[in-house]
Amino acid sequence: MGLVDCIVNWGRIKSPWILHFNSGACNACDIEIIATLTPRYDIERFGVLLKGTPRHADVLVCSGPVTFQVEDRLKRIYEQMAEPKFVVAVGTCACSGGVFKGCYNIKGGINTAIPVSLYIPGCPASPKAIIDGVVKLLESLEEKEGKE
Amino acid sequence: MIYLFYILVFPGILFLSVFALAAEFIDRKLYAKLQNRIGPPWFQPLADMIKLLGKEDIVPTDANARMFKLMPLVAFTSTVTAFFYIPIWGERSIYYFNGDLVVVLYLLTIPTLTFFIGGWYSTSLFARLGSVRTLTQLFAYEVPLFMGILSSALIANSWSLSEIAVFYAHRPWFWVSNIIGFAVSLIALVGKLEKAPFDIPEAETEIVAGSFTEYSGRHLAFFRLSIDIEMIVGASLLAAVFLPFGLEFSAPIAFIFYIIKVLFIVALIAVFRTIFARLRIDQMVHFCWKYLVPLSLLQLLINLILKDILT
Ligand code: SF4
Repeated sequence: MGLVDCIVNWGRIKSPWILHFNSGACNACDIEIIATLTPRYDIERFGVLLKGTPRHADVLVCSGPVTFQVEDRLKRIYEQMAEPKFVVAVGTCACSGGVFKGCYNIKGGINTAIPVSLYIPGCPASPKAIIDGVVKLLESLEEKEGKE
Repeated sequence: MIYLFYILVFPGILFLSVFALAAEFIDRKLYAKLQNRIGPPWFQPLADMIKLLGKEDIVPTDANARMFKLMPLVAFTSTVTAFFYIPIWGERSIYYFNGDLVVVLYLLTIPTLTFFIGGWYSTSLFARLGSVRTLTQLFAYEVPLFMGILSSALIANSWSLSEIAVFYAHRPWFWVSNIIGFAVSLIALVGKLEKAPFDIPEAETEIVAGSFTEYSGRHLAFFRLSIDIEMIVGASLLAAVFLPFGLEFSAPIAFIFYIIKVLFIVALIAVFRTIFARLRIDQMVHFCWKYLVPLSLLQLLINLILKDILT
């Protein structure tokens, strides 16, 4: 990997901007995600900022199972994001469908609609687990840099 | 050769970019500290910039591609150009002529217009709403900003920033008479930079990101950089006009004084950002026309009387 790629990859690791999307969660996971963004946990330490538009975001943080209603919207938001992009599934529902699995209106976990890079289980996943997960995602990017 | 050095290195693009990123870091760190947080590490603005430069550029199909791509560059160029007329290491800037004060104010208006045009041509609903708010806000803060700054030029009897700096440097206590103008211009500058409490055009809780909703990658990086540079240029302008301290020293010491003055104004803006919440657009317009404009008229009156007494 050339020097330029190294620098760009460094920038990517140090500045992940996130977009939060609720694809049908019971709202508990969303509250935990919001709690993660409060001054108490202060994830701006890692360069994380919450952005309002998919065009600015690097990481799509999804919570909840994918309902048939929301599937198209989720895909559209994913397609609106600029490359390179990552998806993080927060909560057991987002990972597999969880307690909603098998319901008449549920398609399944996030990975049934869009590719997912990282799963954070928990019902709901605690802010500490979410931070740990995001740090692991960034570490995996660093490892990728080492391999290439 | 020396011109190329001026434009590209000092006090041109390289120096300005580094200084602007440093100022953004200080702004964000102070904001975090005031909220009892740790805040971002020192390289954060640089990392954001590099990441955005390395991302994919998306131009919406409905957008006017040429205007959409051109606007970030126009914003960047006009802010950098404005910087050449501001005295930074002593009483004189590199280029000066009688009337450069007006040119600087004019060049500082162009970025706002590029936000409008860029947002308008990206044809997204949120971007258009943000653009319209940008223009509405422009009509509110521009008049007090101009009157505040021009009234201090009135006593100095010159339209050149360097002449104004010379005048005030030799009469150190005159800045006291401009203190209302300083307060008015500082508040108007916050409106120009679209920072809280005047961040109505990019209110992310209402209209996602305002004019920048559709921008990504390199174009967004240039917009962000030009906003940071605009903050530096605006702060330098206020420092040159209202805080005429330390100009009579030799170049390096005067330069240190200049940095301290600019960082002081940046810190004031960060404090504003922390302690005030966002206003509505109508409240903002009311506030500017009901309080800021009369205050700047008062400043104008004081300076007219003072000038009459002095001459
Ligand atoms: S994982 Fe639990 S808390 Fe999260 S959305 Fe599903 S049911 Fe709600």
